[in-house]
Amino acid sequence: MASAAPPDTARFGTSGSAGETLFHAACFGAATLLLVTLGGVVVSLAIGGWPAIEHFGFGFLTSSEWNPVTEVYGAAGPVVGTLATALLALVMALPLAIGVAVFLVEFCPRPVAQPVAIAVELLAGIPSIVYGMWGLFVLAPWFAEHVQLPLMMEAEPGSWQEKLFSGIPNGANIFTASVILAIMILPYMAAVFRELFMTVPAQLREAAYGLGCTPFEVIRAVVIPYVRRGMVGVIMLGLGRALGETMAVTFIIGNAHGFPDSVFASGSTIASTIANEFAEATSDMHSAALVALGLVLFLITFGVLAIARALLGSQRH
Amino acid sequence: MTDLPSHLSEEVHLAFPPRDALAIEARKLDFFYGKTQALYGVDLPVERNKITALIGPSGCGKSTLLRALNRIYDLYPKQHAVGRILLDGHDVLADRRSLQRLRDRDGGGDDTAMIRSPVDVAGLRARVGMVFQKPTPFPMSIYDNVAFGVRLYQRKSRAEMDQIVEKSLRRAALWDEVKDKLHSSGLGLSGGQQQRLCVARGIAVEPDVLLLDEPASALDPVSTAKLEETLIELRQDFTIVIVTHNLQQAARISNYTGFMYLGRMMEFQPTEELFANPRGQRTRDYVTGRFG
Amino acid sequence: MDRALVRRLSNIAFVILTAIATLIALTALVLTLWSLLSRGIGGLDTKIFTMTQPAPGSEGGLSNAIMGSLIMCGIGLAIAVVVGVLAGTWLSEYGGNTRYGQVVRFLNDVLLSAPSILIGLFVYEILVRPFHGFSAWAGGVALAILAMPIVTRTTEDILSLQPSALREAGMALGASRAFVIRKIVWKSARAGLVTGALLGFARISGETAPLLFTALGNQFFSTELTQPMASLPTTIFQFALSAYEDWQRLAWVGALLIAAAVLSINIIGRIVAREARRS
Repeated sequence: MASAAPPDTARFGTSGSAGETLFHAACFGAATLLLVTLGGVVVSLAIGGWPAIEHFGFGFLTSSEWNPVTEVYGAAGPVVGTLATALLALVMALPLAIGVAVFLVEFCPRPVAQPVAIAVELLAGIPSIVYGMWGLFVLAPWFAEHVQLPLMMEAEPGSWQEKLFSGIPNGANIFTASVILAIMILPYMAAVFRELFMTVPAQLREAAYGLGCTPFEVIRAVVIPYVRRGMVGVIMLGLGRALGETMAVTFIIGNAHGFPDSVFASGSTIASTIANEFAEATSDMHSAALVALGLVLFLITFGVLAIARALLGSQRH
Repeated sequence: MTDLPSHLSEEVHLAFPPRDALAIEARKLDFFYGKTQALYGVDLPVERNKITALIGPSGCGKSTLLRALNRIYDLYPKQHAVGRILLDGHDVLADRRSLQRLRDRDGGGDDTAMIRSPVDVAGLRARVGMVFQKPTPFPMSIYDNVAFGVRLYQRKSRAEMDQIVEKSLRRAALWDEVKDKLHSSGLGLSGGQQQRLCVARGIAVEPDVLLLDEPASALDPVSTAKLEETLIELRQDFTIVIVTHNLQQAARISNYTGFMYLGRMMEFQPTEELFANPRGQRTRDYVTGRFG
Repeated sequence: MDRALVRRLSNIAFVILTAIATLIALTALVLTLWSLLSRGIGGLDTKIFTMTQPAPGSEGGLSNAIMGSLIMCGIGLAIAVVVGVLAGTWLSEYGGNTRYGQVVRFLNDVLLSAPSILIGLFVYEILVRPFHGFSAWAGGVALAILAMPIVTRTTEDILSLQPSALREAGMALGASRAFVIRKIVWKSARAGLVTGALLGFARISGETAPLLFTALGNQFFSTELTQPMASLPTTIFQFALSAYEDWQRLAWVGALLIAAAVLSINIIGRIVAREARRS
C-alpha cells in the first residue's frame, strides 16, 4: 500500500461501542431465555393444573380413580406406574450397562472395542418411538405367548403366583414396558459409563496393577471408587430418562387407569396418560388434571436430574 | 537386534557387580512401542540392597526399561519386550509369545534355565513394586491405601494389619505426619506426603525390588530431600531402582548408576566412579552438563 | 482355598460376566434394529415420498409427514441455533463464572433431559390455547426448546476449548471483544458449532411427544405454518396403534426412515467433529 491509512477502529468496533454492547446483550438475553423457558414450564404447568389441584387437593396424589365421565381424577395410578416402570427398567439396565462399559474399557480387544463403543453411542440416539414399535409388534406378542400364558397356566389358583402373574395376556403391561425402557436407556447409560471410566487416570490404574491387582480388583477397588459420584449421577440421568419417556411406554403399557395390582397387569405412566388423552380432553377439568399430572412429573424428574447434575459436577455428559 | 552406530559402540563401558549379588537383571533387552524400537539390547544388573539409578536425556529409554521390569507395559497391547529379565534366576518374560520372539531374534539356544509355564504377572508385580512420577493415591483412606496391597495376598487380623500399616508408614517417614488422620482420605495429603504414601503402599507388601520412576519430579525441594532420606533408609531392606533426570539426586543416593542414551546402556559403574571418572565421551558430556 | 486361586477365579468370572452383559445388550439392540429393517424395508418405494398418507385400504405414502417433519425441524433448528449459540457464547466468553452463569448452566443441563412431553404441554399453554389452534409454528417452537440446551451445551464446550491466546491476540490488535468472538473464535470453532447443530437436529427429528398437542398432525399435504401439520413421528404413532395392517406397514417404513435419518445425521456430526479436531 502506498500510504498507511489511519486505523479503522469502526471496523473492529472498539470496546464499549454500540455493537459491542448489543452483542453482549444478545448473548445475555439468549442465556436468560433458557432460564425463562424452564421457569415458564413450571409456571404454565402450575397455572394450567391449578383447577385440578384446587378441586382435588392432596387427594389428587392418593386417589387412584381416573374417570373422565364422572370427572373424578386421581393420579396415584400413573404416578405409581411411572415410578414402577422406571425403577424396574433401571434395575434391569444398570448391571448390563456397567458390564458393557467395563467390558469395552478393560477387556475387549482394541480393534473390536472401538466400533462397538461407537455403535452403542449411535444406538443411544435412536428415537424412542422406534423402541416403542418394537415393543408393540415384537416383544409384546412374544411375551404374551411364551411367558405370560405359560406362567398363568401353571400358577395355582389362589397362590401368590396367580396374583403376581394375573392380567390380560396380551403382553402389554408394566413389565414389558420396563423391558423396553431398559433397552432404551441401556445404550445411553453404557455410553456415559464408558466415558466416565475412561476419566480414571492411567497412572492410577498402573499403580494398582503395579501392586499385582487382577483387573477385577483394579475395577472394584480403584476405578469404581474413583468415579463413584459420577456413577450415581449417571444412574440418576438414566432414571430421569426412564421417568420422562413417553412414546416407548405409551405403545406397550396397556394404558389402563387405576392402580396396577401386579407387574404383569396393564397400567399407565404420567407421560403415557398425557400423550393418550391430552389432545382429546374435552372438559376443562380433564385438561387441568392432565396438566397437574405433568406438574407432578416435572417435580419428580427435576429432583432426580438436579441430583444427577450436582453429582456429575464439572464432568459434563 | 540393531547394532550400535559405530561412533557410539566405542563408548560403551559396563562394570557389572557379581551375578550372585543381583536381585533382578535385564539381559539383552529390546523394547517396542508398536513398530518403534525404544530399547536396544540393554543390560541392567541390579544389586541386592543397593540403589541403582538410571540417568540420561529425555527419551533415552530409562523409564521404558523400568516399566519393563515389572511388565506394567502389558496393559498396553501394542507394547512388547524381547530378551530376558531374571528375577531369582527365573525369566519373567518367559511366556510363550515372548519366548517365540526371543527365538526369532537369537535363534534359540540359551544358557539360562527358565520356567516355561505362564508367568504369574500379578505375582511378579507383588515382588517388584513401583512408584510413579506423579503421586497416585487411591481414592480411599490413608490406612486403606497402605493396607490395599497386603489385603490382596493375605488375610490379616485387624491388629496385624495395624502393625503393617504403621511399620510401612514409619519406613516411608510419613507416620508422624499422618498417625492422627489415618482414616481420612489419602487425596487430602500434600504432594510430597502423597508420594511417600505411595512408597509406603509399595513396601507394605514387602517386595524384593522397588522401582521408582522420577518419583521427585513433581515435588518441591523440601519434599524431595525427605523422599531421598527415606530411600536411603529403605536400602537396608529393599533393592531400589530409580529413574531420575536429576543428576545430583543420582549422585547423592545411589550406589550404581547407569547412563542411557538412544535406547542403549552406555555406561554402568559404581556411582562415585561414574561421576568422578566417566569413561565415555557422551557420559562425560552429560554428567558435566554439556548436553541433556 | 488358595488365595491366589480365588483371586484368579473371581477375575475370570468377572470377565465372563461383563462379556455376557455386552452380549445380552448387543443382542437386544440388534434384534430391535433387525425388526426395523426387515419390516420396514419391504414397504420402501418411491410412493412413500410422492404420495400423501392414505385412507385405510388404499394406496399412499408419507410425503405429507416427511415434509411436515422437515419444516418443523427446520423451524426448531433455526431458533435453537440462534438462541443456543448466543447463550453458549455468553456462558463461555462472558458470564460463565458468575453465580448467574452457574445457575444458567445448571438449569440448562436440567432442561437438556427434561421430559419432552412436558415441553409439549408448555407450548400448548403458551401458543396453542391462546391462539385457539394447533399449528406448525407451535410444533417448531416445541422442537426448538428441545434442541436449544443441546446447542448451548456444545457451543460452550467447543468455545472453551479454543485457546485463550487466540482471543488475546485479537484483543491485542485493538479489536473489541464482540468482534474477536464473532470473527475469530466462532470461525476457529466453526466445525464444532456445526456438530452441535447436527446433534440438536438428530435429537428433535425423532421426537414425537411434544408434537402430539402442538402440531397435532394432518392427513393432508400442508405447508401452511398456522395450520396443524403432519410429522413422521406423530403419523407413525397414529398408524402403529391403528387396527389396519397397511397403516402398520407404513408405520414401520416411517420408523425406518427416522432411524436412518437420525443415524446418518449423528454419523455426519461425528465426522465433522473429527475433522475439526484434526485441523
